[in-house]
Amino acid sequence: MTNSPQIVITGAGAVSPYGSGVAALLDGLFSGKGCMHSVPELEALPMVKTKVAATVPEMDYSFIPRRDRRSMSLMAKYAYCAAQEALRSAGYETAPQGLGFFMGSTLNSISVWLEVSKNCLERHLELVKTSDFLQIMNHSPLATVSQALKINGPCVGAADACATGLMNIGLAYLAIKTGLVRQALCGGTEEYHPMFSACFDIMQATSHNFNESPNEACRPFDKDRTGLVCAEGCGLLFLETKESAQQRGAKILAEIIGFASNTETENMAYPSAQTLRECMQAALKNACIEASQVDLLNAHATGTIVGDIAETQAANAVFGPAVQMNSLKGHLGHTMGASGSLETIACVEMLKRQEILPTKNLHTPDERCAAVNHITQPEKCSVNIILKNSFAIGGNNCSIVLRRPQ
Amino acid sequence: MITREEIIRLTNEALKTEFELTDAQLVPTAHLQQDVGLDSLDAVDMVVVLEQKFGMTLRQGYDIRSIVTLNDLYDFIEKLAREHEAGK
Repeated sequence: MTNSPQIVITGAGAVSPYGSGVAALLDGLFSGKGCMHSVPELEALPMVKTKVAATVPEMDYSFIPRRDRRSMSLMAKYAYCAAQEALRSAGYETAPQGLGFFMGSTLNSISVWLEVSKNCLERHLELVKTSDFLQIMNHSPLATVSQALKINGPCVGAADACATGLMNIGLAYLAIKTGLVRQALCGGTEEYHPMFSACFDIMQATSHNFNESPNEACRPFDKDRTGLVCAEGCGLLFLETKESAQQRGAKILAEIIGFASNTETENMAYPSAQTLRECMQAALKNACIEASQVDLLNAHATGTIVGDIAETQAANAVFGPAVQMNSLKGHLGHTMGASGSLETIACVEMLKRQEILPTKNLHTPDERCAAVNHITQPEKCSVNIILKNSFAIGGNNCSIVLRRPQ
Repeated sequence: MITREEIIRLTNEALKTEFELTDAQLVPTAHLQQDVGLDSLDAVDMVVVLEQKFGMTLRQGYDIRSIVTLNDLYDFIEKLAREHEAGK
């Protein structure tokens, strides 16, 4: 794309297992704090091996006007908080005219769906409220937050499971780059339900050997890992052209210089190293940079056996064994649709602080994941370019390339 | 037989809980839309919560849209309650 505008990040908002706000997220990550806990509903299910999750601490959402809140599921409330914070951090009290909004989730609110389903199955349709339906529409968080915050540009939600957050950042990047919108909010949101853990457990993809010490349960690349820890939250970024940011004097947090996406068609659940490699290479090509210019690969790495191996092999093939690599799932768990955008916020901070976060709980790398330079301790160093991955069940892969403001 | 006072108390209780209203807003002459601030979506959900509260169907055979004030609502429920009690 020649002569296309440069795209920058000028705002961020987060709700995570560390609490509400970007500050809470970054404080939790950079202090290495744990946020995982046992889940009583899982304890009550003997057939489900995993017993831990990372959930957002309970909060009071009554500050959201009732008329907006009535149609919001929990994940929409997370998105409202994150959107408001992202707007404010970008310098806006209200949404600017024509703002685009790109946000999705893996599923909609399971708890509301179950309640509605129960009423339907028990032939009590008279108990179903309009506000119930509005909470279980696939685009419910996108619709309710855009209504509440008067976001009147295109509102579009990619729903690519675990890649949702990053995919929406990519869509927003492309939408601004091609002139569809000048500015956009983008990312993903997700609401935990024990069903998430149970379903990944059925697929043999959960952590189950550290149930007694939840904060050690998610251990990307480690030899003792058995799988992921389900989590929730919302991460949103405010994107605009560099020209727009400069014109209004907004602080540029980072630049997005490349994006790519592809799809694994051989298997829904097992990514091949080749497809992941091609995705990262396409992102480098889109960014017009060489692999050697990348200072850090922020991996998707959720702590599953096969996923971590495939990503390591792909990383080695693209960057060679010296590439610095980390994963944030050991801190946060897998926040599903929110993971790509919450972790991008952390990447922006690593560019700012010139400090690479370690992969929490990575003590002894699995020898099949060893062919890269794993970061296991906080590392102060020059970090100018980060390539960030998100890969989804279903085979949807994406990578973005972030650069420190110049 | 349920008294009108009881109908008013139960109705106000349901509306306060569902729509986060205060006693001050629930004066009998209050206009449901203009004064109480309920819109068309609230009106549908109001029927759901009142049906649960009173254990009877409100939405069939009557034009709920003709209810404008809280007093209209109390009248409407009272009329239905009397018919309900009479076994109609």
